[in-house]
Amino acid sequence: MTVLTSQDTSPSPAGPSGSAGDGAGGRNGAGTGARRLRRIGFSALMVSPPVLVVLVFVGIPVVTGIAYALGYTGGPNEMATMLSNSVLRNNGAPTLDVFAKIFDDPLFLKGFWITITVTVVTVVVVTVLAWGIALYARLSGSRWSRILTGIAVVPMFIPVVIGAYAIRNFYLGSGFWGSVWQLLGVQMDPLSYHTSGVIIGQIWTSLPFAVLLISSGVAAVPDALIHAARDAGASMARAVWSVMVPMATVPTVIVATFTGVGVLGSFTVPFMIGATSPTMLGVQMVTTYNAYGLPQDAQAMAVVLFLMAILIGWGYVWAQARQARSSAVMN
Amino acid sequence: MSTGPTGTDSAELSTDQPAAPSPAPNTRTAAPATGSGSTGSTGATGSGPSGAAPGAVQADVAPTAGGNAEIPAGAEGLRLSRISKILGGRTIVDTLDLTVAKGELVCLLGPSGCGKTTTLRMIGGFLQPDKGRLTINGKDFTFAKPEHRPTAMVFQNYALWPHMTVAKNIGFGLKVRKLSAAAIREKVDWALDLLSLTHHRDSMPARISGGEQQRVALARALVLEPEVLLMDEPLSNLDAKLRVSVRETIREIQQRLGITTVFVTHDQEEALSIADRVAVMNNGKIEQLDVPAELYRLPRTSFVAGFVGSMNTLDVAPRDGGVPLADGTVLPCERMSGDAGDAVWIRPEDLVIEPEGAPGSTRAVVLRVIPRGHYREVLLQCHGTTLRSFTDTEPEAEQAVGVRATDALVYADGVLVQQ
Repeated sequence: MTVLTSQDTSPSPAGPSGSAGDGAGGRNGAGTGARRLRRIGFSALMVSPPVLVVLVFVGIPVVTGIAYALGYTGGPNEMATMLSNSVLRNNGAPTLDVFAKIFDDPLFLKGFWITITVTVVTVVVVTVLAWGIALYARLSGSRWSRILTGIAVVPMFIPVVIGAYAIRNFYLGSGFWGSVWQLLGVQMDPLSYHTSGVIIGQIWTSLPFAVLLISSGVAAVPDALIHAARDAGASMARAVWSVMVPMATVPTVIVATFTGVGVLGSFTVPFMIGATSPTMLGVQMVTTYNAYGLPQDAQAMAVVLFLMAILIGWGYVWAQARQARSSAVMN
Repeated sequence: MSTGPTGTDSAELSTDQPAAPSPAPNTRTAAPATGSGSTGSTGATGSGPSGAAPGAVQADVAPTAGGNAEIPAGAEGLRLSRISKILGGRTIVDTLDLTVAKGELVCLLGPSGCGKTTTLRMIGGFLQPDKGRLTINGKDFTFAKPEHRPTAMVFQNYALWPHMTVAKNIGFGLKVRKLSAAAIREKVDWALDLLSLTHHRDSMPARISGGEQQRVALARALVLEPEVLLMDEPLSNLDAKLRVSVRETIREIQQRLGITTVFVTHDQEEALSIADRVAVMNNGKIEQLDVPAELYRLPRTSFVAGFVGSMNTLDVAPRDGGVPLADGTVLPCERMSGDAGDAVWIRPEDLVIEPEGAPGSTRAVVLRVIPRGHYREVLLQCHGTTLRSFTDTEPEAEQAVGVRATDALVYADGVLVQQ
C-alpha cells in the first residue's frame, strides 16, 4: 500500500498535472492576495498618523469654517456664533449672503485690491530680482557674485517680525529714509504705514527663498547648452532667453506660486509696516474677528483668500506635474 | 561660406561641392589593436658589428607630402600661430602652431589634459588665447566671440536643447540669423534628410537614441554652413558598434561637403580611421602632425609611439643588426630606423612567428595565445624577454617557435633615430 500510495502521488508527465498545478496556483494566489492585503494594511498604518493629523487639525476646521461662511452657524460653530455681534443664518440650504455682505463693504474691497496689488507686485519684483541675482552669479562666477548671492539669502535667517520692525523704523518719516531726504532738502513721504512699505517688506522676506530656488534652477543648466546657443550665433542675452529661461521654468513657477501664496496670507509684514486701514486681508480678517466681533465675516474673507490661493496653487501643481514628466523622460 | 544647404537636394549638393583637398593618401594602416604593448626590458649587452638594414627605412623616413608639408596660403582653412593658454597657473596650450587645409579633417589626439579640448575651445571662441593668433580662411578671429565666428561645434554630450524638438534644435541658429520661416524650413529639411532624421523632425531629444542625438547635433552644426566644423569627442558617449557607424557617417558627410574640420579625440583608432592628418598632442604641444599611415609607421617620438598602437618597448641599444634580449641573444631584425640609440620599439605585427629553427629567427616559447578575431595576440618568452606578437598563425601555448622582427624603431632620448 505504501508503494502504491507513493506511485499515486508521484508526478507523472502524462498525468493530470494541471489539477495539481491549479491547486498550487490557487494556494499561491491566495498567498499573494493575503500578502498584498497585509502590505496595503501596513502601508495604511504607516501613513495614517499624518493623514489623521491633517484631517483633524486642518480638514475639519476648513470644512466647519466654509460651512460657517455659508450660514451653518450651529454645531461646531455654535460658540463663535454666541460670541459674534452679527451672524447670517441659512434656511437649511447654503447661502452666500455673508459673501455678498463683505463684497458690499468698501473697506473689504479696498483690502481685497491692496492684497492683490501687493501680491502681484511682490511676485513680479521678487521673480525678476531673483533671476537677476541668479544670472549674475551663474554667468559672472566672480567673488562679488558669490557675495551678492550670500547677502540675498541673509533675510532667511532673520525672524520676519524683527525684519518688519526694522523696515518700519527705517522707512518712517523720522527714520533713516526721511532723514536722508531731509538732509538733501527734499520732503519725502514715509513708506512705512503705506502699501509701498508693505511691498518692500514682502520683497525682503520672499527674496531669499526665490534666490535659492532660481539659482539652483539656473545652475542646473549645463554650460554646454549655453555654449551651443552662442555657437549657433546667439548673443548671451538671446542664449539666456532661449535656453536658460525655458529650462528654469519649473523653479520659476514654483517661486512665483510660493511667493504669491505666502504674500496673500501674510500677516506680520502688513501688520507691522502697513497702514491700520485699509490693509491686506490677513490683517483685516484679524481686525474683523477681534475688533469688530464678526467671525463669520472674517471666515468669509478667509474663504475668499483660500480660493485665491487655490488659483495660485494650480500653477504649482502644473509645475510639479511638468517636472515629473521631464524626470520620467530623462530617466 | 563654401558648404551647406543650397536649397537643392543632398545628392545634387554633393556633386556641386568641390572635392575636399585630401592631403592624406588613400592607403591607411589598419591599426590592429588598442592597448599598450608588451614591455620587455633587457639588461643584456653585447658587442658586434652593427648590421642594420637601413635602406628601406631611410626611404620611408623622408617627410611625407601630406604630413608636414607647407599648405599654400590660399588653401588654408584654419591657422593657429603660436597659440598659448594658461589656466589655473598651468600652461595648457604652449605656443602651438597648426594649419588645416580647406576641406581637410585634422584630428587632435592625445591623453586627458594634453590641451586638445582647450585648443578646440579657443578655435570655437569659448576661450581666448593668452598669446598667438587664430585665422580662419585668412581672417583674424583671435578674440572674436563665439557667435561672431564662422565655426560650428558638435559637443561631447551633444548639448541638444531638451525643451526644443529636433527640428527646432537644428533651426535655432537660422532663427537667430533672422532667416525667413520658409528658408529655415528648407534648410532644416535638408539637414534632416542629410542625416536621415526626417522621421524625428518633431521628436524631443530625450525621446531619441544616443546615435540619433549625435546626428541631430551634427545636423545643427552643418545647417549653419560653417567654414570650420569643430567636433569635441563626439563619439565618446556611443557604444563601440555605433561609434564605428557614426564616424563613417561623419567622414562621408565631411568629404561630401568639403568642410574644414577639427576633430578632438583620445581614441587613436578613431583618429587613424577618420582623419586626413592627425596631430598627437602632449603637454600642450603637438608632438607630431602627420597622415595616419606615417604616424603609425614612423612615430617621431617615443610618446607618439607609445600612444598610437601597441609596441614592444625594449630599453636597449641595438646591436649586430638586431635587438639584444635579456640573456644577450640578439633578436634578428630586417630593418631598423637607426643603428644607435637607447631604446628599440617593435610593433607586435612586425614580430613574425615562424617554425622553430627557421633561418634568421631566434627561439621563443609561446606563453599565451589570445584570440582577437581575425588575428591572434601571442605572448612569447624569448631569451628572458617577454614579447608580444600579432599573427595570423596559430601557435599553441608552450610551443617552441622561431621569432624575428621585420621593422624596429630606434629612439635616443625619446626621439626617433633615422638614418
